[in-house]
Amino acid sequence: MEQNLLSPWAVTPLLDRLRRRRVPLREYGEVLAVIAAVTVLGRLAPISYRALGHVYLLAVVVLCLRVGRWPILAAAVVSALAWNFVIIPPRLSLSVLDSEDGLLLGTYFVVALIAGQLLVKREEWRAAAERAKLLAESERLHRALMDSVSHELKTPLAVLRSAAEALEAGPPERRRDLQREIRTAVERLDRLVANLLSQNRLEAGAIRPQLDWHDARDLIGAARREAEGALAGRTCQVEVPPQMPLLRADGALMEQAIGNLLLNAARHTPPGSPLRIMAGTAPREKRAFIAVADRGGGIPPELRGALFRKFSRGPEAGAGGLGLGLAIVRGFMQAQGGEVSVGENPGGGACFTLHLPLEGHESVPNE
Amino acid sequence: MNPPAAPAEILVIDDEPQIRRLLRFTLEDAGYAVREAETGRGGLVEAAHRAPAAVILDLGLPDVAGDQVLRQLREWSAVPVLVLTVFEQESRKVANLDAGADDYLTKPFGGAELLARLRVLLRRAQAGEPANLVRFGGVVIDLARRRVRRHGAALKLTAREYDLLRLLAAHRDKIVTHAQILEELWGPEAKGKTHYLRIFMMRLRRKLEDDPDSPRHLQTESGIGYRLATGPA
Repeated sequence: MEQNLLSPWAVTPLLDRLRRRRVPLREYGEVLAVIAAVTVLGRLAPISYRALGHVYLLAVVVLCLRVGRWPILAAAVVSALAWNFVIIPPRLSLSVLDSEDGLLLGTYFVVALIAGQLLVKREEWRAAAERAKLLAESERLHRALMDSVSHELKTPLAVLRSAAEALEAGPPERRRDLQREIRTAVERLDRLVANLLSQNRLEAGAIRPQLDWHDARDLIGAARREAEGALAGRTCQVEVPPQMPLLRADGALMEQAIGNLLLNAARHTPPGSPLRIMAGTAPREKRAFIAVADRGGGIPPELRGALFRKFSRGPEAGAGGLGLGLAIVRGFMQAQGGEVSVGENPGGGACFTLHLPLEGHESVPNE
Repeated sequence: MNPPAAPAEILVIDDEPQIRRLLRFTLEDAGYAVREAETGRGGLVEAAHRAPAAVILDLGLPDVAGDQVLRQLREWSAVPVLVLTVFEQESRKVANLDAGADDYLTKPFGGAELLARLRVLLRRAQAGEPANLVRFGGVVIDLARRRVRRHGAALKLTAREYDLLRLLAAHRDKIVTHAQILEELWGPEAKGKTHYLRIFMMRLRRKLEDDPDSPRHLQTESGIGYRLATGPA
C-alpha cells in the first residue's frame, strides 16, 4: 500500500520508452541530404579540396545538434568517403592520401567521434532532467495526497476521541447526540478506507474483474442498501424495464460504482431532493446502462472532463472528501470494458451514466 | 430479543483482543454466555472440550487459516458457525460457505446485525429437521404436498421454479451458493451458468414477491448465492 501511494505516477515506463526510442530513418535521410549538398557544392564551386574538408567537418558538427549518435557516425563515414571519392583528386576514385590529408582526415574522425559522445551525454542529461521533473511532480502529488488523507483520517478520529471522552464525563442526556456523531465518523472512516484500498488496487493493476451474469435490479438493490444511511430522507425512484437483459459484469465492482454515484449525489445535492436510478439498453450502440439522476445544481460542461480524475473535486464540493469516488467509478467501469459519463438531467440536475457492453447469453433451458 | 433461560454459550475465535472484548459486550448484553479463543487451534480445543451453541470465527487467524479450522470442526461437529470476513473477498466467502459455514458477516459490522444473524442460526439449530410448512410474506410452502399458496390462493409454479424454491426453503434463512443450486437443479454440467439462476429467480420473484424489483424474501447475496429470508425483514 505504502509503496503505491509513494509513486502515484508511473515514472519508469516513460523513461524506458525514452531510452528505447528507435532512431528514425528521417535522421539518416537528413544526414545523406546535407552531405550530398556539400559534395555538389564542392564539385560546382571553385574551392580547394582542403577548404571543403572544413566545410564537411562543419556540416557534421551542425548535424550533431539535430540528429542522434548513430546517424552522426554514419555522417562522419559517408562524408569522409565522399570527400575522398568525389573531391580529392584524382576524382571519382579512392585516393591514396599524403600525410597532410591523412592528418586532416584523422582529426576529422576524432571530432566526429567526440561529437557523437557529446550527443550521448546530451541525451542522458535530457533524460535526467525529465526524471527529475517527473519525480518532483510525483512528490507534489504524493504530498497533496498525504495531506488530504491525514486530514480526512484525523477529522473522524478527533470526533471519536472527543465523543468517547464526552461519553465518560458529559451529562447523560448528551449520549444520543454523541452516538450519532460516532456513527457518522465511523461511516466516514469506513468509506475512506474502502476508497483508498480500491484506488490502490486500481493503480497496482490488481483489479481482475470476475465477469458473470447479473440482474440489474440486484446490483441497484445492493448499492442502495450500502448507501442507505446517506440516502435517508430522500425518495429514490428505481426504473428497470421488465425486459431488461442480464448484464455481463463484476457484481462487486458494479455495486461499488453505483454506490459511489449514490453517495456522491447524497453529498452534493440538497438534503431531501429526489434521486432516480434508471437501467436500460441502447441496442444500436450495443450498450446497456445504469444511470443515477439527481435534482442538484448540475455539473457545468467545462468541469465535466476533469470530474473523473483522481483528487479532482468540484468548486462547490464543500469540506471533506478526497476526490477519489468518481475516479474509482471510472477505473472500475473501464476494468469491465465499460465507461462512465456525465450529462444533464432534463429538468435540472446531473445524470451520471454507467455503460457496459451489451452481451447476449446462451439460451436458458425452459424446463 | 428473548434471552434464553439458560444462557446459550457462544465461542468467539478471533485474534484481535479489542474485537473479542466488543463481541463479549454485545453478546453478554443480549443474554449469551461467551467463551473466547485467540487462535484456530485453541478454538478447536475449546469447541471439543465443551460444545458451544454457536461459533463466531474470524477468518484472518495467525496460526491456522480460517477455512482450515472450519473443515476440521466440521469433521466432528454440526455446531452453527458464523464467519467474519474483511472487505470484498467473495471467492473466500463462497469457499467457506461450501466448507460448512452457516453464514458470514463482513467487517466492519454492527452489533444489531450480528445478533440478528446469530438468532437465526440458533433458531434453526434448535428447530432441528425443517418443518413441512414454510411461511414468509403471505406465502405458504407445503413441502410434503409440493404446494405453494400466496395470500390463500394456490400458486402455479413450473417444476424448475418449484425445485428452486424448495431448495431455498429447505435451507431457509441460510445462504445457498450458486454452485449448490446449479448442481442440484441442472446437474454438474451447469457449473458456472449463473444466468440460469438470474432468469429463474426473476420469474420466481414475480410470482412470490410484492415488489419483485426490491425483493424482501428471495434475497440475492452478491457474488455468492441466494437466501430465503422468512423473517419480516
